[in-house]
Amino acid sequence: MNARELEISAIPEPAETPSGPVATILGPFLPVVRPEPRTPTGFYTDTTVCIGCKACEVACKQWNQLPSDGLNWSGDSYDNTQALSATSWRHVKFIEQFASAGADAPSRWLMMSDVCKHCSAAPCQHACPTGAIIYNEFSNVYIQPDICNGCAYCIAACPFGVITRSDLDGHAHKCTLCYDRQRDGLIPACAKACPTASIQFGPIDELRDRAHRRIEELNSRGTPSAYLYGEAPTATYSELHSFYLLVDRPSTYGLPESPFNPWLRMRGDYLRSLLGGLAAIVAMILVWTLRMP
Amino acid sequence: MPTCTDPASPMNAAGYASRRVTKPPNWHELVAFDMLFNNMTTGLFVVAAAGDLVSRPAFGPLTRLAYPMALLFLTIDLACLVLDLGHRFRFHHMLRVFKPSSPMSLGTWCLTAYSIPLGLLSTIEVLEMAGIREIPAWMRLASITTGIPFAMGAAMYKGVLFSTTSQPGWKDSRWLGGYLTNSAIAIGCAELLAIADLAGQGPVRAIRTSLLALLAINLGFLATLIVELRPAIRTLKGGHRLDLMLTLGAALGVWVPAILILVSGTMPTIASAIIDGIGMVLVLAGNFLVRRSIVMLPHHENDDGIVARWDGGS
Ligand code: SF4
Ligand code: SF4
Repeated sequence: MNARELEISAIPEPAETPSGPVATILGPFLPVVRPEPRTPTGFYTDTTVCIGCKACEVACKQWNQLPSDGLNWSGDSYDNTQALSATSWRHVKFIEQFASAGADAPSRWLMMSDVCKHCSAAPCQHACPTGAIIYNEFSNVYIQPDICNGCAYCIAACPFGVITRSDLDGHAHKCTLCYDRQRDGLIPACAKACPTASIQFGPIDELRDRAHRRIEELNSRGTPSAYLYGEAPTATYSELHSFYLLVDRPSTYGLPESPFNPWLRMRGDYLRSLLGGLAAIVAMILVWTLRMP
Repeated sequence: MPTCTDPASPMNAAGYASRRVTKPPNWHELVAFDMLFNNMTTGLFVVAAAGDLVSRPAFGPLTRLAYPMALLFLTIDLACLVLDLGHRFRFHHMLRVFKPSSPMSLGTWCLTAYSIPLGLLSTIEVLEMAGIREIPAWMRLASITTGIPFAMGAAMYKGVLFSTTSQPGWKDSRWLGGYLTNSAIAIGCAELLAIADLAGQGPVRAIRTSLLALLAINLGFLATLIVELRPAIRTLKGGHRLDLMLTLGAALGVWVPAILILVSGTMPTIASAIIDGIGMVLVLAGNFLVRRSIVMLPHHENDDGIVARWDGGS
């Protein structure tokens, strides 16, 4: 595998966490020292080499101590995880494209390890009213579990259906891009565990170069359908810091064909709200003025 | 979904295409009540404040009751907001940042700011009603004028909160905010009419006529909203039920009350007060139905035989 551990850098010692009821109430309001920005990092997932072993799912569950979701046989190929959730931050998808009996078309089995896209302009971050969702020093989208109050707005905002609220603690959870490991100079557990380097981690610019080279290689080897999803911004969405190499339509993998950032429409929506209110107030006062002696 | 046992399935090649990508938030009835009480408090305040500014002698006896009632509705609204959180004791975390990019943050700050003049006005009214002391007029005026923009902000944010999401239906409803803010004023007017009938004072006829005008305008906003929501509703399993609920909401919340109020204008005082009261209850019931249909929309499955795997948890 070509993913490598980053050098362990000077890591600031975490401050003593204050405890007690006063600290619980006031803690989130106290000022904090922001870490210096570091090289933006992310994931590049090459779905053509994924073998569906689910080592990433297991490594993620284990490292992040995520509880089991139970043993549910879905009947959907090997996909028993079914969806990303507060307790499943990696989800391996299986798409069986087998030709009908007697048909001549080639068959194939697509697999893809799905995760939070760490959008560079993330709707979940725009939405979060508590400031729990931040871009950390690696430009990853991170939910601070001690701040989140479980309002669920981020769930509604995410166009990729990544976040859910945990029934255990009432907070929203998703992939942290192994923030704790990154701070200690380690690569995320899923990328570390992936035996085929389908999941690659590193500085985002490096990953993009690598992905472009891979596309050229695949195209020259007779896979013209290979393309990158989310590595560059579109008119309606920012670039993703977790992007994919795909060989079929995005919707086949359960990804939106053209993601849309709902915040592009916020100003207009506020204006229409104001218009709705003003129309009523003006009409009402007009009638009062005309009808009152 | 493709399965090993059904290799000839036409869905094989489509993979996950038939599944909805987004997940619905954990918002249910309580949020529909929150939307209603938000409109009940902000609408009543704005209408009462407008009355106070237009003619204090005419509307004074009504606003005396209106402000404390608006405070009561605000308290219920805040209770809904708190109870709906995953971690209720962290409601105050909403106030640790001011984030205009988040309609929920802006809305929480508007509600908080609105609660101050509203609380002050309610206290003034109660003190004066109890004959404890006469409060200087400038104090009332200052509270009214500072309260109006925050009350409007608190009414406006809710629709924008829903329309700036990635959820089916909500994301396409450009006029949801316009509809909700507009109906807040209509609801407030219906409440003020009921207060006027109860108190047996105030410019009842003028309020009644203005309510008729507001219901007519509100119908326009609601029709636009239904047109926007319909394409998403049509793709849902049980979508026709949602459609029916919205139509019923429009009938109960606009048409029937409008007819009742037209009739009540021709009746003797007691009968007209009763009919106005029924009209107000119907306005609230209809508006609740519309709000509930909107809140529950993303919880409906797609009408393609594919069961949505995630129902948003609790
Ligand atoms: S994929 Fe969803 S949860 Fe992840 S950063 Fe983007 S908006 Fe947020
Ligand atoms: S659920 Fe938590 S992380 Fe999500 S928007 Fe609300 S406060 Fe922010």
